[in-house]
Amino acid sequence: MTDQPSAPRRGHRMLAAAAGLGVLGLPLAAPAPSPSPSASPLPAPPTGPDRGTVLYQQSCASCHGQRGEGTQRGPSLADVGPASVDFQLSTGRMPLSKEGKPNVHQDAVFSESDIRALVQHVASFPPGGGPPIPVVGGGSTPSGRELYLTYCSACHSAAGVGATLNNGRIAPSLFEATPTQIGEAVRVGPGLMPAFPPDVLSDEEVDDVAAYVGVLQDDRGELDRGGWPLGRLGPFTEGVVAWVFGLTIVLLLARRLGSRAR
Amino acid sequence: MITRRIYRALDARLGTTSIGRTALAKVFPDHWTFMFGEIALYAFMALLLTGTYLTLFFEPSTSETVYDGAYQPLDGSKVSSAFASTVALSFDVRAGLLIRQAHHWAALLFVAAIVVHMLRVFFTGAFRRPRELNWVVGVTMLALALLNGFTGYSMPDDLLSGTGLRIIYSTVLSIPVVGSWIATLAFGGEFPTPETTPRLYISHVLIVPGIFLALISVHLLMIIRQKHSQFPGPGRREHNVVGSRLWPAYAVRSVSLLTGVFAVVFALGGLVQINPVWIYGPFHPAKATSPAQPDWYVAWGDGALRLFPPIEFHVFGHLVPAPFLPAVGVGTVTFLLLYAWPWLERWRTGDKASHQILQRPRESPGRVAVGAYALTFFAVLLVTAADDIIARLTRIPVTGLLRTLQILVLVLPFVVAAVAFFTARALRAGTATSLGELTREDLHAGLSGRSIDRRPDDEPEERIRLWRNPDDTWRWRWYGPGEELSSNEAFLDRQEALDAAKTAFPGVRVEQDEPPEGVVLPPPQHKPGPATKAAAALVWVAMAVLGRRADRRTPSRSEASE
Ligand code: HEC
Ligand code: HEC
Ligand code: HEM
Repeated sequence: MTDQPSAPRRGHRMLAAAAGLGVLGLPLAAPAPSPSPSASPLPAPPTGPDRGTVLYQQSCASCHGQRGEGTQRGPSLADVGPASVDFQLSTGRMPLSKEGKPNVHQDAVFSESDIRALVQHVASFPPGGGPPIPVVGGGSTPSGRELYLTYCSACHSAAGVGATLNNGRIAPSLFEATPTQIGEAVRVGPGLMPAFPPDVLSDEEVDDVAAYVGVLQDDRGELDRGGWPLGRLGPFTEGVVAWVFGLTIVLLLARRLGSRAR
Repeated sequence: MITRRIYRALDARLGTTSIGRTALAKVFPDHWTFMFGEIALYAFMALLLTGTYLTLFFEPSTSETVYDGAYQPLDGSKVSSAFASTVALSFDVRAGLLIRQAHHWAALLFVAAIVVHMLRVFFTGAFRRPRELNWVVGVTMLALALLNGFTGYSMPDDLLSGTGLRIIYSTVLSIPVVGSWIATLAFGGEFPTPETTPRLYISHVLIVPGIFLALISVHLLMIIRQKHSQFPGPGRREHNVVGSRLWPAYAVRSVSLLTGVFAVVFALGGLVQINPVWIYGPFHPAKATSPAQPDWYVAWGDGALRLFPPIEFHVFGHLVPAPFLPAVGVGTVTFLLLYAWPWLERWRTGDKASHQILQRPRESPGRVAVGAYALTFFAVLLVTAADDIIARLTRIPVTGLLRTLQILVLVLPFVVAAVAFFTARALRAGTATSLGELTREDLHAGLSGRSIDRRPDDEPEERIRLWRNPDDTWRWRWYGPGEELSSNEAFLDRQEALDAAKTAFPGVRVEQDEPPEGVVLPPPQHKPGPATKAAAALVWVAMAVLGRRADRRTPSRSEASE
């Protein structure tokens, strides 16, 4: 899984993210907003030891407190661990804005090195701990397929398009997540998602799941070899197509043939 | 030479020539809505052809096997033979995926065509005496189509169909007294059991198609015997059939339609993915996927289950579980009403006469209202079955959406039925041919029911019929006792024709009508109608979307190569 993530398939997501940034007043041409696919374990940021502190004071402290102790507007970060911080930042979920939609994959606000600096800074809060950023790659898809269908498809759907949960919240589609983000989500359990610690899914199994999600993300036609996938939404959309394309065309034909007969 | 000999020998013994001659000269009335049944027939033929190919490769068994083929993420996994062979059909058998998808698309089209055909029969009163029996045969075929669609959908043993089977199993169990017996018979034991798939298979490829062939034969024989009904029109009476002969006119049309249905089925089968079971994975009782819906023709049951509050009650000491009322109840009541409808209507109207001439829907506003009610009711149920998808697309929370739908399912059918009722009455009151031509007085008459007391049996001695030609000009024809006279002029609009007719024969009632047979006219121009325009717009949008997808893919590739 050394591929770059495929370009986001959902155009309106991009638009929404762009609009969100626009509302925030952030420069849209900010440092190349690429989600960080790198899985390197935190070397020191090149821009000096204070970079993380400065960024944290600017963007996070108002909600999470000076030393990550938490405030009324945000939970404590004292023991969430680097995986959580990297996940929240690289998927653009944090910093939370009033206008932006929470819990949705967006373009990251910070550059890769800034994210690394922030992760390191948050990791320095006492007492520390929490899952580290996992190194993910090179899994086997057959095993990943089985694990995915056992642990993930109930919420994210077998096709990876996401689904509505019982309580009306949404499990997002997995088409935009990088292997590292998948590993982080599995270990951290963001939002309503449960965490899967190593005694449930070993590191190799996480690699396998990520490899299979990579297969699901592939939009070059190998998985959807039947043709137009209809958003992989299943029988409902198929029924709509059967009526709107199939039957309507046949009825129009009958209409023409019938009127010929006059 | 030899063929001629054989033919003569056959003819001497069977009388083929005279049968053939009568058959070829058989007259079918011309109206495009009479072709709906044929569409269903051709879809069934497509199902038979593609289904037979599938039986060569499909293994109806849940015994474990190792999939070994081109679909990499399943390669080497232990799965049931049914699932493995379906994936093999999709990846490893030549043309397997095309045929499999064509089979499934044909199934969706088949049921849709039956429904549309039934609506035509219903709204035109074609089920009235002497055709009640054929209505009963038709309703039975609809039920069998739903059944066979469901068994087919459940055979590949994938996660989605297994989820559906589980729901049906608990629904069947919920039937008081006989439920567990039927469930054991149909499923071969407590679900999930290895007995189920072979039973589904026998029923799907042998028993139900066999019954279908028999019923289709009965259905067609009855049509031939009773002759086709026809719409009212000049020269069309209760005792004749006006239209085209089977050979050549009608046959040519039928073959075109056959080709069209097959073209659509295989185009969809080749271009649009349906039921990608390899993505859903094999069924396992502990696994689930969502969004999970059944095919559209059974989705109303799923919708009813989602809408209905879970109510359990006791009847004579038997507990009736929650799925009973929505799933079993809605289906049973609907089909009982469908079966009984010809007699219900006769009981209501007291009309015991035999009918060969069809009604226009507006002639029976009450029936229109009932039909509109049922259609709206089932439409809401179908939408409900997709509540999770709709919640996601609209970002309305599911609970709120369900509440709204619960109210809608109670209210909306009544509203639509009332609107349909008054529209039908307004159309009946005036001379408008379509909704766009309704005048304010017509609407008024529809609301007040003024025209109700116009009896069909006090037919006036003289009348004038007014019709629109296919080229949008208007003419009229006067019918007196034993005499008929046509206007010798064509008029540019309806009002002109009406004025001319009224000047020529003051005080005679004017009716609007279809153009009569045998009137030579310039060939009609086909301006694209609203339906054609809508279809063109759809195709355009689809091309635009596909084009954009293609555009978007290109940069993602170049990125990857950087
Ligand atoms: C406007 C207030 C706000 C700002 C600014 C903000 N956060 Fe958050 N943060 C929240 C809230 C609220 C949550 C809880 C979200 C949830 O549960 O879905 C959260 C959750 C998190 C979590 C996950 C905590 C957990 O328990 O899993 C992390 C990590 C985090 N924020 C990091 C950051 C960082 C780093 C920044 C600065 C770049 C930041 N946040 C800026 C409000 C904020
Ligand atoms: C109980 C339902 C549930 C299950 C089971 C579950 N998830 Fe999630 N998942 C969620 C929800 C809800 C979110 C959104 C988190 C948030 O609010 O930010 C999510 C988010 C994610 C994301 C982030 C997506 C993005 O691009 O923003 C990934 C990756 C992910 N899940 C992977 C997995 C994998 C892999 C599994 C199986 C091992 C899994 N999930 C199992 C509910 C679930
Ligand atoms: C009333 C007519 C029929 C309907 C509505 C119907 C419907 C279906 C459906 C929906 C499926 C699931 C396809 C899928 O996997 O996506 C299916 C599968 C199948 N059908 Fe039919 N079918 C009909 C008649 C037949 C006939 C006549 C045959 C054989 C002679 C047949 C053979 C099969 C076989 C072998 C499968 C399993 C293969 C597979 O799942 O891919 N069907 N059918």
